[in-house]
Amino acid sequence: MSPTRAPHAPARRPLPGWLLVLPAVLFLCAFFVLPLIGNAARSFEGADGGFTLLRYLVLLGDRFNLGVIAETVALSSVVTVICAVIGYPVAYYLVRHAGRFGGVIIFLLIAPLLTSIIMRTYGWQVLFARRGLVNNFLVQDLGLLDRPLQLLNTPGIAIVALVHVLVPYMVLSIATVLQGIDQRLEEGAQMLGASPWRTFREVTLPLSADGIGTGAILVFMIANGSFVTLVLLGGGFQTLPLLIYQQFTTTRDFGMASAMSVVLLVIALACLYLQLRLVRRQGV
Amino acid sequence: MTGSSALRLDRVRKDFGPVTAVQEMTLDIAPGQLVALLGPSGCGKTTTLRMVAGFETPSAGRIVIGDRDVTDLPPHRRNLGMVFQNYSLFPHRTVAENIAFGLRMAGRSRAEQRDAVARMLDLVQLGDRGDMYPRQLSGGQQQRIALARSLVLDPRVLLLDEPLGALDKALRESMQFEIRAMQQRLGITTLLVTHDQEEAMTMADQIAVMQSGRVLQIGAPAAVYNRPESRFVAEFLGTSNIFDGRVRPSGQEIEADGVTIRLPRAASPGAQVSVSVRPERIVIGEAAHALPNRMRARLADRVFRGTHETFRFEIGPAARQVHAHRQAGTGPAGVAGRPQEDCWIGWDTADSVIVTVNDR
Repeated sequence: MSPTRAPHAPARRPLPGWLLVLPAVLFLCAFFVLPLIGNAARSFEGADGGFTLLRYLVLLGDRFNLGVIAETVALSSVVTVICAVIGYPVAYYLVRHAGRFGGVIIFLLIAPLLTSIIMRTYGWQVLFARRGLVNNFLVQDLGLLDRPLQLLNTPGIAIVALVHVLVPYMVLSIATVLQGIDQRLEEGAQMLGASPWRTFREVTLPLSADGIGTGAILVFMIANGSFVTLVLLGGGFQTLPLLIYQQFTTTRDFGMASAMSVVLLVIALACLYLQLRLVRRQGV
Repeated sequence: MTGSSALRLDRVRKDFGPVTAVQEMTLDIAPGQLVALLGPSGCGKTTTLRMVAGFETPSAGRIVIGDRDVTDLPPHRRNLGMVFQNYSLFPHRTVAENIAFGLRMAGRSRAEQRDAVARMLDLVQLGDRGDMYPRQLSGGQQQRIALARSLVLDPRVLLLDEPLGALDKALRESMQFEIRAMQQRLGITTLLVTHDQEEAMTMADQIAVMQSGRVLQIGAPAAVYNRPESRFVAEFLGTSNIFDGRVRPSGQEIEADGVTIRLPRAASPGAQVSVSVRPERIVIGEAAHALPNRMRARLADRVFRGTHETFRFEIGPAARQVHAHRQAGTGPAGVAGRPQEDCWIGWDTADSVIVTVNDR
């Protein structure tokens, strides 16, 4: 506003807004967008240098590869559902009952995210190894088992580890939406004869569906792309990121690895599209 | 107590930790009456309403609706209707679904729900809005739908929690009359919580003025306005000129800031007394000459306020302020209205009230 400017100060033009984000944009172009384009281009490049869809035909026409994609989606779905079931009550408690302990709970929630993924994963190994804490407790201290259980390198432990680190995303997504629900809506429902459980089903749950949706898509996408956790703890199943790793290190078929990562990216983009649609439809 | 009241609060108290929000409150509402709980924020009126609704449990006392003690019933079993300040319509449901909600909870048939929704939409004159979502309606329309939703189950008592607080002034006034007319037509017992004295006076059969968790005075709007029993009521409901002073030996008058004020009734000599006079009861100029209770005043200020004019006078050696209202366009005879002009003012002692008497 010109009237507030000091009378003799030289009129200085403000920097255009786009200049401020330029460094970040250049960085992302150089190290994210260009490699991504290169990667996609490699997946379409034939042996003669021309355009080919052959890799995608092989990838999507092969029973084994389709099985891997299905297992990837199945694993992420299971993790997502468990996160939603565990996360909703936590989010509800956080918003409605935690009061001044809310900050402590949020810190405890995001603490796993502040730990290096390698440390976290080795932690699970220490707990669940053949001679790890859990097995020692079951075999030696309680005498419940004759032999230690095979706990590591099973789908179960991989799911537990993924849920552990992804549940905060779910909780925070749901809590944000729950926070915005006017409690008078719930009181209004009760005045009209709805029991507390009915009120939850008819009012609270539908109004927080948005948060569950956002959380679910976040968790699903991150689980879909998870790699380190599955390499170190997984076993008995194969996911797309693991397969891509194999293509790079063992088979050394870079073109095929690129095609697989494009498929993974397309799944992620489809999720993002779903989320945008969901939020727009709900837009209350 | 009588068995004829529709809603009875029997020595109800509510403590929040060390703070007592409502103290030993007793209130009887006759069937079909609208009682307004009026007071500043924090006076306990909303807590009282929430105890009737069942969202707060009284620390002591009983709440009886009709002939049933509901003190220990959860809200959804009390069969009450409630309208909130922000309407609280379910944003994810259409207007018709909002109105049908209570019927659905009660397990009524679809045909019954459809008929009742149509009937309620007609009642609030929004017959064609059933398929819209609440956010597509104006504030006043949303409030009408909230009213329809709360009345669809024929509740035994209707609770209104600052129902018009979110509306602009013109709409608020017309809604006051509208809700009052509907309440009288349906003959539904109603408890209204408001901090707006105009709203209380327009809508209520009885006003209960509350302060610090207590009902200071309850009565018909005109009675509470004209005969305030305490200084707080005199000042909260409308405006008042209040004169504090010690009663002279005659017992007929007090001296307040060097001005002699005649009392409406005799008081014991030496007592500290406050006298309240409404600004519209103050007589200005020639008309005051004949009054036994009159005094010289200096005009300090004169403000036009639409329906009336406010005169601000100073009286006595301490230049004590006195406010007087005149209907607009009826300038007082014998007063030119110049600043610092000296004139007579006065009032009929019958138009003044003694409030908060402290005998020593």
